[in-house]
Amino acid sequence: MRAPAISGGREARGQRPDALACERIVLGGVVQGVGFRPFVYRLAQQLGVAGWVRNNAGVVEICAAAAPETLNDFRAALLAEAPPAARPELHAVSPGAFTGTGFTILDSTAGETVQGLPPDLAPCPDCLAEMKAPGRRHRYPFINCTQCGPRYSIIRALPYDRANTTMAEFPLCPACAAEYANPADRRFHAEPVACPDCGPRLRFGAQEGEAALAACLMALRAGQIVAVKGVGGYHLFCDAADEAAVARLRTRKHRPEKPLALLLPEARVMDYVVADAPALHLPSRPILLLEKRPGLPEVLAPGLTELGVMLPDSPLHHLLAEGFGAALVATSANRSGEPMVTDEAQAEAELAGIADGFLHHNRRIERAVDDSVVRIIDGAPHILRAGRGLSPIEMQLPFTLGRPVLALGGHMKSAIALAWGNKAVISPHLGELDNAPAHAAFARMAADLQALYGVRAEVLITDAHEGYASTRWARTQDLPVETVWHHHAHASAVAGEHGGAEMLAFTWDGVGLGSDGALWGGEALLGRPGAWRVAARLKRLRLQGGDAVSRAPWRSGAAMCWHTGITPPEGLVPDPLLHTAWTRGLNCHESSAAGRLFDGAAALLGLRHTASYEGQGPALLEALAGPLPNAAPLPLHEVGGVWEADWSPLVPMLLDDTLPNPERAARFHAALVATGVEIARLVGAKTVGLAGGVFQNRKLAEALLARLRAARITAHLGRKIPCNDAGLSFGQVIEFGARQWMR
Amino acid sequence: MDEMITLAHGNGGRRMRALIEEIFAPALGRPDTQADAAAIALPEGEIMVTTDGFTVQPARFPGGNIGALSVHGVVNDLAVSGATPLYLTLAALIEEGTSVALLRELVASLGEAAHEAGVRVVAGDTKVLPRGQGGGVYFTLTGIGVRTPGCPPGLSAIRPGDRLLVSGPVGDHGIAVMLAREDFGLRGDVRSDAACVLPLTRALLPLRGLRFMRDPTRGGLATVAHEIALATGLGIELEEANIPVRESTQAVCAILGYDPLYLACEGRVVAVLAPEEADAALTAWQALPGGAEAAIIGCIGATPGPVVLRTPIGGSRVLPELEEDALPRIC
Ligand SMILES: [Fe+3]
Ligand SMILES: [Mg+2]
Ligand SMILES: [Zn+2]
Ligand SMILES: [Zn+2]
Repeated sequence: MRAPAISGGREARGQRPDALACERIVLGGVVQGVGFRPFVYRLAQQLGVAGWVRNNAGVVEICAAAAPETLNDFRAALLAEAPPAARPELHAVSPGAFTGTGFTILDSTAGETVQGLPPDLAPCPDCLAEMKAPGRRHRYPFINCTQCGPRYSIIRALPYDRANTTMAEFPLCPACAAEYANPADRRFHAEPVACPDCGPRLRFGAQEGEAALAACLMALRAGQIVAVKGVGGYHLFCDAADEAAVARLRTRKHRPEKPLALLLPEARVMDYVVADAPALHLPSRPILLLEKRPGLPEVLAPGLTELGVMLPDSPLHHLLAEGFGAALVATSANRSGEPMVTDEAQAEAELAGIADGFLHHNRRIERAVDDSVVRIIDGAPHILRAGRGLSPIEMQLPFTLGRPVLALGGHMKSAIALAWGNKAVISPHLGELDNAPAHAAFARMAADLQALYGVRAEVLITDAHEGYASTRWARTQDLPVETVWHHHAHASAVAGEHGGAEMLAFTWDGVGLGSDGALWGGEALLGRPGAWRVAARLKRLRLQGGDAVSRAPWRSGAAMCWHTGITPPEGLVPDPLLHTAWTRGLNCHESSAAGRLFDGAAALLGLRHTASYEGQGPALLEALAGPLPNAAPLPLHEVGGVWEADWSPLVPMLLDDTLPNPERAARFHAALVATGVEIARLVGAKTVGLAGGVFQNRKLAEALLARLRAARITAHLGRKIPCNDAGLSFGQVIEFGARQWMR
Repeated sequence: MDEMITLAHGNGGRRMRALIEEIFAPALGRPDTQADAAAIALPEGEIMVTTDGFTVQPARFPGGNIGALSVHGVVNDLAVSGATPLYLTLAALIEEGTSVALLRELVASLGEAAHEAGVRVVAGDTKVLPRGQGGGVYFTLTGIGVRTPGCPPGLSAIRPGDRLLVSGPVGDHGIAVMLAREDFGLRGDVRSDAACVLPLTRALLPLRGLRFMRDPTRGGLATVAHEIALATGLGIELEEANIPVRESTQAVCAILGYDPLYLACEGRVVAVLAPEEADAALTAWQALPGGAEAAIIGCIGATPGPVVLRTPIGGSRVLPELEEDALPRIC
């Protein structure tokens, strides 16, 4: 459905035509799908501005005629008074020509399809109030308006019009149609507008609507596990206070220890976390990691001090959370690393042995999107996983690309980026590409992003690792493939977010292929996108076992001991065969990865010999660490122009029984922080960026940033772009673009 | 005869004649060592020829040695192609300094394996390489056979929904050889599976639904699956729980970080059959001495896609094509 041409409003009041000025104003940013045109319409009426407004290729174009001072006010108000979900940016103002009267919303310009894909937004205060009040949408779980509601998850094609969403299946009733057509209504062109008469409905077994909701709540109170269809896919819910139910969920989901997120009613936040945070209340409603209150069941997040919590992200979740009145475990109803289950039949089939009941609804999910996960690091939200509410992330590039490119990211935490002109769009989290559903979702997303934005990539950019599923997929496509070294992409991601300036980028992560054929992950790269060189690294460690190493922290721990000439502690190495294989280099790789040192430290402290989820060892080590003491940097030696940090003094410290465990964990963190600062000092860095999954560690990242700043060094952590491998695709775009620029 | 092979054993003179007369001829059923070429009689049918070089290190390993392995390798290639192997030719490359006793043992083993498989070595050649220019003993064999009339196997016959079977546990040969090569000592009952698969392939030939057979040697089961996927353009799903892997092999793989699905077998067959005959094939195999642990392990997909392993807990893993040096991918 295209925006109908609507005329209205008074004539520009009391102005003689010769006193009028006319301007053509172009606004970009987030201006579509957020009620921006009706806002412009109302503002024009209010100020007595004549002219028109229309959507055009991702921007809003306004032709405004009024007295010059009125135009000034109008322009200022366009930015200052925009609706909450909008984020307008003034792109251009030029002389215009308008001789008519009144103000009009014109048809969208057809043919142009380069438009933003708005993210899904939690219900706005107006809709929540309406849902609570008596009226035709009282307790209606699919209430929404131009300021809130589903977007990305229901869009089939752009432009974002109802006909191009899964809401096209629900013809509007007369009451909803009237709101949709009324420029003065907050539902003017609210594409997913719905009410109980014409919109989606809930179903739980044979129950529908309110009865379905009641049946779902009853099942949850009885300790059952219920699969609930949400905005971007199904979640599994159970009573967070019912330890038996949580244990059952863990067993059925084969997820013994990985932390589980909680859905909280707004009023109960402080019962679960030590301090509320503004990020919890953002319209994107991410899962936010916050310090948990003591006394909560340990089974929710074993060994950790933080808990992932989220507030209701949809009207349905409001009704559920409020109706239940306490925390619900809310975990994606898919296997770890796989995309969300979105379809009713698929849910019933795949979750048969896991869920005791299903709360379905009949609004189809066009694109699966998992919950976003955010952690407050260095005083502001840092995205660990971009998904519902945040994706797709749009970024301005510090250069203009000659050809559109599709950057395919890494192998784990897959997210891909389409970039053209000076813009990049980053897909939501796609999962781990070694499972088949994520692999399929990845290939679909690659096609889908290009189709949606009407941009055909002419070059594919991949990691240099030939074994990544993304790299292999690229080789089957009929396009030129450019490769970027893993850690160059990490460095360029943080540098690109900060204008592409010269910096020292610490790229500390698990492992990635380095330009010398070794596995990097402890490097500090000096330079700028397109021109990085290794300035420092952690001493390399010989790791035995291929990919098994990342699941078995004991392998890293044992290797640290053997390198240092220390016998690994009793019970660490389950088979003497390993030492022989390590000595002979059988299935061994050399790696400077900081992530493996964290694994090894966790194992040597006896926290964890094998990991039941990715990053478990480092997470436990961070949780255990007490306040970081002042520490000396590790010994640094120059080897062929590269500073090499020798971590071997850490090994006896980690094995020193006379020190309490939290003290050992803290000293380990502190030594790496001091080493980072010393490296920055040695190379004379003025600006430092932190990139790589190791900096998801809040204690490490915050201490390093603080110490660098104390040494008067500007220090950044990515803000819009995750520091982990989810940020690789953006970094690949930056690295590729910078290379073109420098040629 | 001397203890060690010397260059003189390869100079065409007396020592070489003695070597052939005393070691090769008796073990190989006394072929005509004087003729420049052998005359062979072949029955009616399409002639099938294969050739393969064997360089395995070490020459002896638990469950076999390079002598028997060479015969099995060539005979098995003919067998999975639906041919009846009849003749072999043998070229032996021996490094100076190799112990004669070892050579004698390997050649005897080669002869025995040929005898058991019902093939005759009809022509041969012996060379001695200077010390340091070879790795002990290498054999190159050519196998000649005749294809069973009307025998259908071929990749192009594979259809969506067809089933994959494997005749026994995978990865044993790869692990046994690796443990022997690295001098790790014996581990449990890890032994090479090297054997002649003729009885197994013969058992399936009468089945009309038989599409394709292959012996999963280098690159293992996963690589055969990739060859099928590539040739058919279809995805493949394997059920991890159904793929037989010996506990001792699994244990060594777990410690060293290897995947048994990528390790070589030398006495197994992977077969693709129409779904309605998969059970009959399984029953036929399980009745044979080498097929007791045979299993139906997967299915050809309906659409293009990757080779996917379904895990026992309902997950899935995409099995990548074998890399030269499989670098870790988990960041
Ligand atoms: Fe990484
Ligand atoms: Mg062969
Ligand atoms: Zn609203
Ligand atoms: Zn309605």
